[in-house]
Amino acid sequence: MNEFKKMWRHDRWVLPFLREQKGGVIGSVLLSFGTIFAAAALMFVSGFLISRAAQRPSNILLIYVPIVLTRGFGIARPVFRYVERLVSHNWVLRIVSLARQRLYQSAASTASSIRSRLQTGQVLSLLADDLDQLQNLYLRTLFPIGAGIMLYLGSSIGIGVLNWHFMLVWILVLAFILILVPIFSFKMNRAKVQDQKELQSQLYTEATDAILGMQDWVLSGRQADLVKEQGRVMTALAGVKYKAMRFGWWRDFTIQGATVILMVLVLIWSDQQFKTDFIAINYIAAFTLAIIPLVDTFLSVNQGVGEASFYEDSITRLNDLPPVKPAESAIKLPTDSTIHFDQVSFAYPGDDKTVIKDLSFAVQPGEKLALLGRSGAGKTTILKLLAGDVVPSSGQVTIGDVAPSDLNDQLSEVVSVLDQHTYLFDTTILNNIRMGNVKATDEQVKTAVKQAGLADLIESLPDGYQTMMLEAGQRFSGGERQRVALARVLLQDAPIVVLDEPTVSLDPKTEYEVLNQMFSALADRTIVWVTHHLTGINRVDQIAFLKGGHFELTGTPTELYQDSPYFRELLALDQF
Amino acid sequence: MFDRRLFDLPKIKGTLFILMILTGIQALAIVAQSIFLAAVIVDLWSRHAFATVLPSLAGFALAFMLRQLLVVFKNTLMSHFAGKAVENFRVQLLEKYAAMGAPLITKYGTGHAVTSLVAGLDNTKNYFQLLLIKMFDLSIIPWIVLIAITYFNWIQGLFLLLIFPVIIIFFIILGLAAQKKADDEYANFKNLNNRFVDGLRGLPTLKQLGLANAYGREIYTISEDYRKTTMRTLRIAITSTFALDFFTTLSIAVLAVFLGLDLLNGKTILFPALSILVLAPEYFLPLRNFADDYHATLDGKNALTDVMAVLNRPEPTDTKLLNLDTWRSDSQLTLKDLDFYYEDEDQPTLADISFQVAGYQRVAIVGESGSGKSTLLNLLAGFLMPNDDEVIAVNQEILPHLDQEDWQKQYFYMPQSPYLFHDTLRNNLVFYTPGVDDDVLKEAIQQAGLKDLVDSLPDGLDTVVGEGGRQLSGGQSQRVALARMLLDPSRRVLLFDEPTAHLDIETELDLKKSMAPVFDQHLVFFATHRLHWLNQMDYVLVLRHGHLVEQGKPAELLAKPDSQLNSLRSELQQGLIHE
Repeated sequence: MNEFKKMWRHDRWVLPFLREQKGGVIGSVLLSFGTIFAAAALMFVSGFLISRAAQRPSNILLIYVPIVLTRGFGIARPVFRYVERLVSHNWVLRIVSLARQRLYQSAASTASSIRSRLQTGQVLSLLADDLDQLQNLYLRTLFPIGAGIMLYLGSSIGIGVLNWHFMLVWILVLAFILILVPIFSFKMNRAKVQDQKELQSQLYTEATDAILGMQDWVLSGRQADLVKEQGRVMTALAGVKYKAMRFGWWRDFTIQGATVILMVLVLIWSDQQFKTDFIAINYIAAFTLAIIPLVDTFLSVNQGVGEASFYEDSITRLNDLPPVKPAESAIKLPTDSTIHFDQVSFAYPGDDKTVIKDLSFAVQPGEKLALLGRSGAGKTTILKLLAGDVVPSSGQVTIGDVAPSDLNDQLSEVVSVLDQHTYLFDTTILNNIRMGNVKATDEQVKTAVKQAGLADLIESLPDGYQTMMLEAGQRFSGGERQRVALARVLLQDAPIVVLDEPTVSLDPKTEYEVLNQMFSALADRTIVWVTHHLTGINRVDQIAFLKGGHFELTGTPTELYQDSPYFRELLALDQF
Repeated sequence: MFDRRLFDLPKIKGTLFILMILTGIQALAIVAQSIFLAAVIVDLWSRHAFATVLPSLAGFALAFMLRQLLVVFKNTLMSHFAGKAVENFRVQLLEKYAAMGAPLITKYGTGHAVTSLVAGLDNTKNYFQLLLIKMFDLSIIPWIVLIAITYFNWIQGLFLLLIFPVIIIFFIILGLAAQKKADDEYANFKNLNNRFVDGLRGLPTLKQLGLANAYGREIYTISEDYRKTTMRTLRIAITSTFALDFFTTLSIAVLAVFLGLDLLNGKTILFPALSILVLAPEYFLPLRNFADDYHATLDGKNALTDVMAVLNRPEPTDTKLLNLDTWRSDSQLTLKDLDFYYEDEDQPTLADISFQVAGYQRVAIVGESGSGKSTLLNLLAGFLMPNDDEVIAVNQEILPHLDQEDWQKQYFYMPQSPYLFHDTLRNNLVFYTPGVDDDVLKEAIQQAGLKDLVDSLPDGLDTVVGEGGRQLSGGQSQRVALARMLLDPSRRVLLFDEPTAHLDIETELDLKKSMAPVFDQHLVFFATHRLHWLNQMDYVLVLRHGHLVEQGKPAELLAKPDSQLNSLRSELQQGLIHE
């Protein structure tokens, strides 16, 4: 319960929106209350009408008001409900727009530009799902609770006017239905919901294991094991879900039972209150029948509160995002693009393993450096240090005389990145390429496209530069995508270009062609190139082999070829 | 309205019979509850002492609670039924997927297969559980309630009977309009949603281009467009529920007014009138409940259709033709004029492939990307079927394809990225040989070059790897597969599909040193464009555009300057240092 309170205290994703966008909240809750009120009033008035009519008043005018009211409430209820649903959905979607923007900004302020595929792709779509969850939190939990509170207060005051003794009884019974049972059901559900979520994610893992690992299940002849093992989580999940449902059924049963008691109490009270008066006696029917529609609200409040713990993870995850930082003021760009690593060591926070150990090197403007090494050797970390995604634990990384991490948003004016995950956006080819420099003229774009070797392809498309990427994406091969990225980088015109295994998924022939195009087009830039084998290696000035966070072998291609048997052994693999 | 497929579920008839009885009792309880309540109110209205109404009051409370109890019973009954039905489907689905095998699953989409197993079955369960109850409620309760109302006053009964189809027609017409609107806007929805996801997925790229912050405003604009589109559709969808709501509520109001007038004119008395007033909402309630969950029902229906579609997919036949204990040094495999087309292509992916291998030969399959290497390997593994029968023979036994149980026991398949299960490293290693000796396992770990990794893990072999566990690098995954291979010496045929192409060159060199000794005493097929592996091979098949353009001993072919192998070689090694 404490963590629950803490969650709300630091909440930045639910309550602030409620406060900022009060109008819609109040409107939705009022309309939702109006719906219940009209439903109860319809039964109230029609009960009174029939009861009064049965006394056979001499003139129809004596029951004219109830007749009109009956029709009025009959129309009011659906109308209220209709407007309420429109208003609340509209409000929630507006909140989602704001939340999406904020989510994006928060993610953008921390995203790294080097190899963050896991971080971004999955986590962000998870967060996007969380926002969708929030819609349900508002619609299914918070608004019904608001309406429930209004019903509680409104009805208590109304009865209090007539009889404050009975008001106390009313308050007590409703406290059971609207406070005690919901809190109890929240507490009971919370652990179950956690179990359920846990099992649900296990189920996904298992299903993924079954489907993606199917080849191994079949070839190993273990199909029977698959069916057996798969059953466990599903059975456990079905069990937990069943328990939660059963709890819900009995909770609803309890609420219904409490409602019967409420009706009996109303009967007793109204009998005493109204029995003596010829006209007032008709209120017995009115009050008793009016209770029936209230059950809907009782149930929806309980259901909403019971479900509330489903949203906890989502809210916690969103609240754990860093707050959006205001954009930092501009700093002077370096005039010189020499890269300096000066006795740099680096370890990821909370990890005692040093990834980079006392590394020093310099890359002069226009120089081309190739980085090789096994996975985990530190290649990516060097790029991250260079792009300012991380800062050294000790030592210094500088471009000119500025630390890359100080450049913030202006980094893209100094360093371009071209990796294997070139993302093509769902807009025209022209727009995609122009993203490299939004101020570029059509001529500049065309020049870049030509240099990237894409001109023929684009001109062959019926809509040319205006072809939508989604359509073209299917026609674009891996090599062509990388050429689009190259065109962007050319437009971006930063003095340093980081190539992060840009051709790893291409076939050898395309790989060679694309690399050639890159090195020719980027001849005047500094290039730091992480590569996994030696195709195109003769285009660089320096090669460095990384092992355990430092350079184990460095030299020009020719030097290494002459001096290092190891390099020749590797080359033999590529050169067979 | 009733889904005929439901009749095929086990025990459906008995369950539905019980459900019918329970619903019938519930309907009677509803009638009783309403009449008792009316009686109580009428008695009090007639100024009887409160004590005299106690029996009726007790009757009301009992009938009311009985009704609620039946709700719980019905839910329990159907939940158990749905649970069992879906468990059956789950087993059938898994068996089906196992029978289909990985390539067929890939063809239909792995994501789809995972969703079918999880969300699909869940929706199906909801469908069984909710739909049947609501349908039975709708087909029993209103009519028993209507009989009671008609008994009290046939004109009111007739009115309610006639209004029922009117409500349904309006609901359907508006529902269809909403559906049409939703369909019309579907492209728009998808587009807007894509653009939002685009912004998130492309964030690293935006960051690299220095556009990350500018895109924030774009996100808001897209979301607002999304809201407007959604509201346009929602307005109609909500109108459909509004129609239902409006007619039912107004019917009750009209009914009340008419009852009032009848009472005023002395045509009826309070007790029947009040009973009708209390019963009227119950008459409409099942319809409203049914409509509320209508869309969830549709999801369930589609999910069931999906599941059934998977279960009805064809399975490979003739998988037990081959009779082979062990691949021996004198065993033979022959392919003669094999052609292969992918379903939707008119050019053959492989054409006229003929070769014969025997015993423990080491065969390289080389060619450029797209030349048909992987397809040939998949045919050899039995994952794909040749277009004609009788083009494959094992030891002179002619077979339609190699999806043979006895063949699958002979070979080990090493893909580009071996799949690691979300399980301990140990269980991943012994996947093909559960229960293998620890000493044997240690030996295999050593040979596969995994010892350093195992030693570096705090939990050693008990470390959980795979999805959500510790991530292993590409080279390490290959080594796990290699260890699996070493642990199962009974498999004498090894199939490799580009195992090192995507690794960095140093890892490739390391792995080659561990892998090459395994080839001994095995029939090896090794598909690759990394020609250095030819040193380890004693036969090579050169593929070009789906044709087998050359076959022979690597050394002999390399010695001929104009051989196809040499021409492939010169194409693949551009851009390297030359003397």
